[in-house]
Amino acid sequence: MAEGMTYLAVAYLGMLIAIGIWTWTVFSRSNDLQQRIEAVEQTILQSSQEQE
Amino acid sequence: MGNRLAESILLLGFVGIGATLMLALLKAPSVSINAFESPDAQRIFYWHVPAAWAAFIAFGILFVGSALWFFKRSNLGWRMHVAGAEAGLATGLMTIWSGMVWGSAEWGVPWDWTDVRLNTFGLLTFLALFLVLGRQSQPDGVETRDTFSTFGLFGFVLVPVTYVATRLWQIRHPGPVVGGGDSGSLNGDMAVILLIGAISFTVFIIGHVLMSMRITSLEQRLESLQEAMDKV
Repeated sequence: MAEGMTYLAVAYLGMLIAIGIWTWTVFSRSNDLQQRIEAVEQTILQSSQEQE
Repeated sequence: MGNRLAESILLLGFVGIGATLMLALLKAPSVSINAFESPDAQRIFYWHVPAAWAAFIAFGILFVGSALWFFKRSNLGWRMHVAGAEAGLATGLMTIWSGMVWGSAEWGVPWDWTDVRLNTFGLLTFLALFLVLGRQSQPDGVETRDTFSTFGLFGFVLVPVTYVATRLWQIRHPGPVVGGGDSGSLNGDMAVILLIGAISFTVFIIGHVLMSMRITSLEQRLESLQEAMDKV
């Protein structure tokens, strides 16, 4: 009985960690893209100011 | 604002899934020891069934998105296609992993190649994997989108086949526990935890789809900005 619960607890923990990592990658992809967009916008702004 | 809402929904779903796991492990009633080879392993059911439910929602979104792109050339449809494929992959893998954990404990093998439901669901998840990896390896364009949308449209056929598989060909996968007649009835506590799981996974999948759609939109914006930068 205890062995079965240990097996289940390990499986549950593995699933929770896996879904946590997946969720984290979704957040990090979004933040990464946002930062890259801001950087590109900044570069475009600077380039156009220099040209003026 | 919209981004924060999607993030909050996704986080709420994740917390709900964690709570479901705790309830399933600590609060769910035990089943008769004679009914299962491994009675504790049946608690996987509170994760497995809602994950499969969420996967069907994701594949539904994939189908609608594919149709909207293919027939209407809708950019929103394409974003739905991408989000449905990614969310379908996540929840499909959760379903398969939890099923294999249960199968190992109960059947002694993680997979049965003769069972129709296992194989059709496996194919669905493989389709989602193909769409996610394929999109990442191909340049974005009308032809690419048309090809992947076609797979999204025809692949959806596997959803109803998977749903009715245990009713038509009961081989090894257990029959339906909800809406399956007297043999599939649940007691009160079990039904409540299952409902919490279904709601949590639904919230999670909605948050995931909204986030994925936003990510695709950001990718497109970044691409157009980079093109504009090249011209400066």
